Amino acid sequence: MPNRPLAVRYEDDFGLLAGRWERIGLAMLAALVVAYPFVATTNWITTANLALVAVTGSVGLMILTGFTGQISLGHAAFLALGAYTTAVLGTQFALPFWLLLPASGLVAAGVGLAVGPFALRLEGLYLAIVTIGLAFLTNHVLLSFPQWTGGAAGLAVPIHLGFGTESTFLSERALYAIFVVIATLAVLAARNLARSNTGRAMMAVRDHDVAAAVMGVNPARAKITAFALSSFFAGIAGGMFALQQQFITVDPPFNLLLSVQYIAMIVLGGIGTVFGAVAGALVFVFLSPVLEIVGRATPGLDQLSSSLQSTLLFALLVIGTLVFEPLGLYGLWLRIKRYFMAWPFRY
Amino acid sequence: MSTFLQLTFSGIALGAIYALIALGFVVIYRASQVFNFAHGDLLTFGAYLMVAASAWGLPWGLALAVSLVGTGVLAAAMQHVVLRPLIGRPVFVTVIVTIFLGFLLRIAVLLTWGPDTHGQPTPWAADGAINLLGATVLYNSLATIAFGAVALGAFFLLLRYSKIGVAMRAVSQDQEAALALGLPVGRILALTWGIAGAFAALGGIGLSMFPRAVEINLAFIALAAFPAVLVGGLESMAGAVIASLLLGVLQVWAQGYVNPLLGSFGHNFHAVFPYVVMIVFLMVRPEGLFGQPRIKRV
Repeated sequence: MPNRPLAVRYEDDFGLLAGRWERIGLAMLAALVVAYPFVATTNWITTANLALVAVTGSVGLMILTGFTGQISLGHAAFLALGAYTTAVLGTQFALPFWLLLPASGLVAAGVGLAVGPFALRLEGLYLAIVTIGLAFLTNHVLLSFPQWTGGAAGLAVPIHLGFGTESTFLSERALYAIFVVIATLAVLAARNLARSNTGRAMMAVRDHDVAAAVMGVNPARAKITAFALSSFFAGIAGGMFALQQQFITVDPPFNLLLSVQYIAMIVLGGIGTVFGAVAGALVFVFLSPVLEIVGRATPGLDQLSSSLQSTLLFALLVIGTLVFEPLGLYGLWLRIKRYFMAWPFRY
Repeated sequence: MSTFLQLTFSGIALGAIYALIALGFVVIYRASQVFNFAHGDLLTFGAYLMVAASAWGLPWGLALAVSLVGTGVLAAAMQHVVLRPLIGRPVFVTVIVTIFLGFLLRIAVLLTWGPDTHGQPTPWAADGAINLLGATVLYNSLATIAFGAVALGAFFLLLRYSKIGVAMRAVSQDQEAALALGLPVGRILALTWGIAGAFAALGGIGLSMFPRAVEINLAFIALAAFPAVLVGGLESMAGAVIASLLLGVLQVWAQGYVNPLLGSFGHNFHAVFPYVVMIVFLMVRPEGLFGQPRIKRV
């Protein structure tokens, strides 16, 4: 059965991939990702694109909450900043989208750097609620400059392929190809971060900040780096979201529900691992259409709007998982694995 | 001057609602270390239950009692069924669970009572008002302030002088020690959550009498009460009340005086103003007015 081999040398511990099983799993995943657009219908490719946006965003949140232990309920604000950077710069200066995505990341990272210092004074619930406040402030600012952002009416997102060229339309399949590359880069970056000096410093701060400081880690630096990196990824995810949606408004989608969904993704996937961020995001997004079908088929629920239906089923699912399976998907995986390893015995 | 008084009175009424909400948060937090994000939806539930109970033909006082008890029982059930098994888990787990519980409650209210907006029934004329020092004060605002004062006063007396109040304080300080002394910790926690739920219902009823009506988005007011909770200090009940009144008045003043100064940026600025105050305040004093400072030296 797939088992992580015991690390006996430093090289094992530092390796990007642990063992044969992980390589096999990755190869299978890569084949699936390449084959997907050739077999899926357009609707399912749209879902996959949203899933890739969520992967990028949740990898970002995983760095902040999973690696560094700073709870943020304001992740939606960084996504909003990224989305609006892409939309506003695209509208005003007709910049190409491949330049706008990193720019979105940088703008969000800049704000993240400014927000980071809050985490130096506050922790736990206090930080969580302050980040809610910062998200409200961000939305207020975005709504306050309608000449740039379109205000509550929203803003169309142009896609330029080169400087000053006409705005074009990218098909969902083309977006899929671009998004796969970006999401893969994000996952690789996070994976590498986790085994770097900086990443280890973050985890040390998460586990015990005073002990980390005694060991020579600078907690302030680790926290602020985490905020900047996390919001960088969130900004890029926001930009991707804007490109995919082609028309964005502030609220919905960039509200408390979105932030909570991101937190739920990383917790359900398994907190503290990049695998958890990816798995959580994929499951969360791919479950939405499934839940909508279930909601439509359930008598009594069909009088609710489709978003409320999926919210309801999600809520039940998330609460159920957290109460009965604390380790999330990872715990479920462990159970299945143990069942087969012990077969034919119960345990 | 009369504008100023007018704003101050509505600020105090708003502050009284914030105080009821904030106290609910603090009471629950002290007892079970859970920050109950579903609290706002308990507010909505209480307001709707009140409307429903009046529609059954109950007199106003009885309907009020039904609403308070019903919401209290719901809060206690929430704690017992969902949050009890989560003891000892990381803080963000309870955060997520209570937020999603809030969504569930919200959808349940929508399914039961529909999306229509109702007026909150009152035994006095809904637009009746008295003239106080040149400011017009609605009976509804006065009732809200009275609700707040009576509920908070009764609760402080209960906590300070009754046997059950002492037991509640013991449980919130150390559950194991309380259990060792033979206190029924589970039942006392249920009672604590029940009281917090009743506060929420009272806040919801007050809020839906004036400035708002009974509608599903009442729950968002709880988001506006967060700053009061944190500025007051998560563990301090007196702090929550003081900070709520201050923030209520500040918010209405901001709406009256600051919004017009800011041009287009000032549109709805009062809605985020308490958060601005909170962020600035917490930078200076991270533990809030009366919270427990966390001492950490490296």
